[in-house]
Amino acid sequence: MSNVCEDQIFSSIFKAHSKTVFNYIYYKFGNEEKANDAVQEAFVKLWENCAKVSPDKAKSFVYTVANNLYLNVIKAEKVRLKYADHSNDRSNESPEFLMEEQEYKQKLDDALNALPENQRTTFLLNRIDGKKYAEIAEMEGVSVKAIEKRMHLALKSLREKIDGI
Amino acid sequence: MQENYLAKWLSGELSEEELAAFKQSAEHQSFERLKEVSSTMKAPKFDMDQALERTKETIGSAPKVITLKPYKAFLRIAAVVAILLVGSYFYLGTLGETVSTDFAENTNVILPDDSEIILNAASQITYSKKNWDKERNINLEGEAFFKVAKGKKFTVATDQGTVAVLGTQFNVENREGFFEVTCYEGLVSVTHNNKETKLPAGNSFLVINGKIISDLDKPTGNTPSWMQNESSFNSIPLQFVYAELERQFNIKVTTENVDTNLLFTGSFNNTNLEMALKSISTPSQIRFKVEDDNVLFYAGNTSK
Repeated sequence: MSNVCEDQIFSSIFKAHSKTVFNYIYYKFGNEEKANDAVQEAFVKLWENCAKVSPDKAKSFVYTVANNLYLNVIKAEKVRLKYADHSNDRSNESPEFLMEEQEYKQKLDDALNALPENQRTTFLLNRIDGKKYAEIAEMEGVSVKAIEKRMHLALKSLREKIDGI
Repeated sequence: MQENYLAKWLSGELSEEELAAFKQSAEHQSFERLKEVSSTMKAPKFDMDQALERTKETIGSAPKVITLKPYKAFLRIAAVVAILLVGSYFYLGTLGETVSTDFAENTNVILPDDSEIILNAASQITYSKKNWDKERNINLEGEAFFKVAKGKKFTVATDQGTVAVLGTQFNVENREGFFEVTCYEGLVSVTHNNKETKLPAGNSFLVINGKIISDLDKPTGNTPSWMQNESSFNSIPLQFVYAELERQFNIKVTTENVDTNLLFTGSFNNTNLEMALKSISTPSQIRFKVEDDNVLFYAGNTSK
C-alpha cells in the first residue's frame, strides 16, 4: 500500500495538485501571496495527516484545507486580477486590431474582477485550467448543476459587462 | 432553451437544434469571442519546485508530527512491556519454581529455608520461592526424599494425598497407582482420601491402586535406598518394579506371559542394568531379553 507519508508519494501528489490549488485560491482572491500560502498550508496539513489520508483522498483534502483557510478572510477585499496574458503573439495583425484586442482583454479583466467569487472561480478553472464542471463541483463541494448555474451566470454577466449593456 | 444553456454551450453539450437556435441569437457572436479570448488567458506563474522546497522546509521545521509518532509507539511498547513484566511477576510468583528430573536422573534441591529435597528419576516439584516464608508448600509428582528444616508447617501436596510435617526427614513416592510415604525422622501426617494418618519415624504408608496396604515391614536405614542407587521393594507388585526399572534406566519394559501382579521383594541396582535385570528376574524365575532400549520379560519355559 502506498502511503502519503512516503516522500516520493507526497512529492508526486504535490506536483499533481499544487498548481491547481494555487490557481484556485488566486481566482478567489486575486492575491498571489495568499495563493502561495494556501499551497503551503494545504500540503503541510496533508503531511501532518499523511497517515490518515489515503493517496486517492489527498486531492480533495488539499482543496478543502485551502478553501477553509480563507473562509474567514474578509470577502469584501477588492480583487485585482491580472490574468489576461495580453500576449502579442499575433503580430501580423493590424495595429487597429491589436488595439481593439487589448481593449477587449482589459474589459474582460474588469468584468471578471466584478464577478462574484464563486462564478469567477468556476469560469477561470474551466477556461484556464480546463477543469470539467464535475471536477470543479468536487473541488467546491457542490453539485454539477450548481457549477453549471455559476458558469451560465458568469458568461451572461461577463458578456453584458464587456458589451456595455 | 434549457436551463444554464450558456454553460452547456461552452462545454459542447447543447443539442443540434439548441445550438442552431443559439447561433441565430444576437449575442452569439459576443459569446464566441468571450469563449475564444478567455481560452488564451493564463494564471500567474507558479514556481512548483520552489513551492515544494518551501513546503518541505516547513515540514522539516515542524517537529510535531515526526517526533510525536515514535514517542507514541514507544509508549505503546512500554505499556505492553510493563504489563508483561507485572503480569509475569505475579504469574511466576503464584506458579513458582519448578524442578524436574528426567529418566535415569536424580537431583538435589535446596529450599530457601535450607530444607533439602532429593528428586528421584522422572519426578517434578513446584514451589513458590517468593511466598516460602509464609507457606512451605511443595507440589510433587514422582518420588522425592525430604529433609525439612525445623519451622512452620511443611506440606507436600500430591494428587493422591498430602503430607504435612514440622521438621523431619521423609520420602514420598507418588507414582501412577502407587503412593508411599516413609518417615525417617520426626512425625509425618499423611492425608489420603480426607483421612489423616500419623506416621512416626520408621514407618511407611502405602497405597497401591487406591488400596491402603497395612502391616508393612519397617524401612531399613535412615534414607530411602534409591539415594544409594538401589531400588528396594517389599511385597510390591511386579508392574511397579518394572515401572521403576524403566525410570531408572530410561528403557521400555514389555512383558510376555508374566503376571505383573505377582509380589516382588528385593532390590536392584540403579547403575548397572545387567545386574538389575538379574536381580529382578532370578527370584521370580522370569527370563529377559534386551534389545537396544527395550527389555522383554517373559515366562521361563520349563522345557528349556
